[in-house]
Amino acid sequence: MMTGAAADVGPKDGRQRPSARTSDTWFKWLLVAPAAVLILAISIYPLLFSIWVLFVNYDFQIPGHAFVGLKNFKQVIFDPVAVYSLWVTVALSTINVVVEFLLGLAIAMAMANTFRGRGVLISVLIVPLFISPIIVGQVWVLMLHSPFGPTNYLLSQLLGYEVTIKWLTGFPWNFVALILADVWQWTPFMFVILLAGLTSIPPHVYEAAELDGVGPWQTFWYITVPYIAPMMLLAVTFRLLDAIRLFDTIFIMTGGGPGTSTYSASYYLYTIGFTQFHLSRATAGAWIFMILTLLVVFLLVRRLLTMESK
Amino acid sequence: MNERENRDFQAGLEDEVNAFLRGEPTRRTFIKRFGQAMGMLPIVGGALGSGVQWALAQAKMELEDPSTPLGKAQALALKASTEGPADGSAFRAVEAAKQFAGVNLNMTYEAGLQGLDPRNFSGPLWEELTGIKSTVVELPSPDMYSKPIAEHIAQSGAYDILDLQPQWTPALADGGVIAPLDDLIAKYMNPADLEDYHPLYKALPTYKGKIWGLFDDGDMFALYYRKDIFEDPKLNEAYEAKFSKKLEVPKSWEDYAQVAQFITDQMAPNVYGAGHFRKAGSPGNQFDFMQQFRSNGGAFFDGDMKAALATDIGVKTLQNMIAANKASIPGNEELDAVSLWVAWLQGKIAMMYSWPPTGRMSAGYSQSDKAISFIPQSSIAGKVGYAIVPGGNPEHAFGFNKALAADSANPEAAFLFMQWACSPPVSLARCMLPYALRDPYRISHFKSELYGELFPSAPEYLANLNASANVGLLDPIMPGAQDYQLSLDRMCTSVWAGTDPMEALKTAAAEWDATTENLGVDAQKGFYQEFLKLPGATADNTVEKLGMAVTL
Repeated sequence: MMTGAAADVGPKDGRQRPSARTSDTWFKWLLVAPAAVLILAISIYPLLFSIWVLFVNYDFQIPGHAFVGLKNFKQVIFDPVAVYSLWVTVALSTINVVVEFLLGLAIAMAMANTFRGRGVLISVLIVPLFISPIIVGQVWVLMLHSPFGPTNYLLSQLLGYEVTIKWLTGFPWNFVALILADVWQWTPFMFVILLAGLTSIPPHVYEAAELDGVGPWQTFWYITVPYIAPMMLLAVTFRLLDAIRLFDTIFIMTGGGPGTSTYSASYYLYTIGFTQFHLSRATAGAWIFMILTLLVVFLLVRRLLTMESK
Repeated sequence: MNERENRDFQAGLEDEVNAFLRGEPTRRTFIKRFGQAMGMLPIVGGALGSGVQWALAQAKMELEDPSTPLGKAQALALKASTEGPADGSAFRAVEAAKQFAGVNLNMTYEAGLQGLDPRNFSGPLWEELTGIKSTVVELPSPDMYSKPIAEHIAQSGAYDILDLQPQWTPALADGGVIAPLDDLIAKYMNPADLEDYHPLYKALPTYKGKIWGLFDDGDMFALYYRKDIFEDPKLNEAYEAKFSKKLEVPKSWEDYAQVAQFITDQMAPNVYGAGHFRKAGSPGNQFDFMQQFRSNGGAFFDGDMKAALATDIGVKTLQNMIAANKASIPGNEELDAVSLWVAWLQGKIAMMYSWPPTGRMSAGYSQSDKAISFIPQSSIAGKVGYAIVPGGNPEHAFGFNKALAADSANPEAAFLFMQWACSPPVSLARCMLPYALRDPYRISHFKSELYGELFPSAPEYLANLNASANVGLLDPIMPGAQDYQLSLDRMCTSVWAGTDPMEALKTAAAEWDATTENLGVDAQKGFYQEFLKLPGATADNTVEKLGMAVTL
């Protein structure tokens, strides 16, 4: 707070005038204001508005916005498609993240040492990260399309008998296709973060271990893993938060089908919100989904912070 | 201010003064220039907006050589708009619209080929005739429903003219998104124009006794088959030997599956008996189910407004569809409409049923325009026959009404464009554009000699579209139509993946009942009863059965 003495000090003795200080204070706010207004307009207001939508009818086909209590939540909770889509989300995001983590770690370990062409190889490996998921989905549709895609043909040539897998419309191949596309695109993400972790381990630690006669497996388990554990958790947290929003590839590759078998929570919310326009039900579903996501985020962030404080 | 703050301030001040003396930007100049830039925004924004609008507006008008059938149709449309007859809707619309010169109309169109007509032909021509500009807003099919709703909720007035599927009319009318046209029709339109609509399409924009749009696209399914295959003597002999009857274009769905399987057995992998667009959301499943289910005698709802899908008729319908799938080109369940066209035009399929552009593409007419180069050239031109789909009741799948956005700032100008574009001479020229996906819907279209000159078999093609409309079935026009059809698509794709048909029907029926309950059983019952009064609502009240069939 400005003291009387400070306020009386003029510019001649090198101190700031009160008017200049006021201008300085306002200037700070002026700089922050656009961002603050933007956040208020596009985040806070819609969030508050959505709370109102939760408890009224906001279904375009039913005129008016009558208060409906918890009906919107009830409709989502008792909708078998909603419950199923949640399980699909859990299953797909878990499998995707686990596979991507293991592959990413393996590639990072392989790339941790320097060798000729390493830079080029790393550049090629991370290319999928820069491709839009919609395009990734479309490419995989072309690859896996039965019978026009090359996958079944190549498999037939390899196996010596005709392969007629319905990658996009047959269970469980449609799930395999979705996982393939996701793993192809996002393994590089894990790889990049884990590689950063691996390269930060001081080489003398490995040298000491080698002198002590520690085997490769023990080196990995007792040196590498503890050193990069925070990076691992960070990579898994970031990727998991993204993976549970899975939508784009499902939209392009399976359209949620056959039936509703590949509906993820995001795809379900999109369908009821923007195909059927049951906005209040979609809002209730989105809130339920957000709360469940927050629980996961809370657990992961807490674990991350605990690890950081050690 | 403590000592550190004072030191920071002095350092900052010194930097600023030095920067000023060097002529570099300072905080003061930053604020000044920022303010100037903000002040300029409205001016620049306006100019930028006009530039963007200009860029997004229609391209240069493309008129055909006047000696061609399309060129002649375009010349007639121009003449009708400028010289009359004075009581013609095209002429009236142009004359009345001149008072709105300078206005800009925003009109939604399905993204892709649909938007080329207003960009290259009707939009520029309208501007030349009236001085009214137009901006085409291309939207993916689902967004054509959701965007107008979102803009209406936001009261943005973003659109003036909406291209809408007739099945959406009740929801959008009740929601206040679209405005009734009765007064404007009475004020400007020649009533004879309404009488020129095929009876199946005439009533489509009517809801609760008011007219909510002008119908503008006859999306009638028809069967397209390879005449050369059906006329092949060896194939005929083999078929007769196997089934003790002649190989003919199938009249029932059972025959269809049988003939398709026979051709596949005889000719695969060169040619397969049939092909369908069965991919989830493609959207063929619901239309195919609805046409077969109703031609098999099915009704959508019982007297209590409970879904009547899970019946023997429902099972029979799905079993027929499964049999047809088995007889089809490999990958049938993963094809969308365009992929199916590609297979068809390459001569890989003996029969398909789809929308009317199939006929124009088969003849190679559509591909005469570079805009449609993504479709291969036809290898089957001159070999294609036209028939009503098996079962005798083809689906009128989708279609478009031109509707007036309730929030339009220029409703009269918007309506006048709609009236002009849908008037007989102008709509004929639009339907004849090679890249157009607008299909004949007026009696005058079906009778048009100019259209009949577009390709050698065009007269038979038009006759078949008219005959199909005489016995055609409408998509259910009632609130919740979107939801009901989504359930059918899910049901079909789940059956293609192996779900028991009855189980799938029960799931779909439960979803239908939930939709009905959500919208109000009594209200939905009323809407359904209204729908049943429309010609083409069921196989028992087609245009033909109501004695209104159009003969050419």
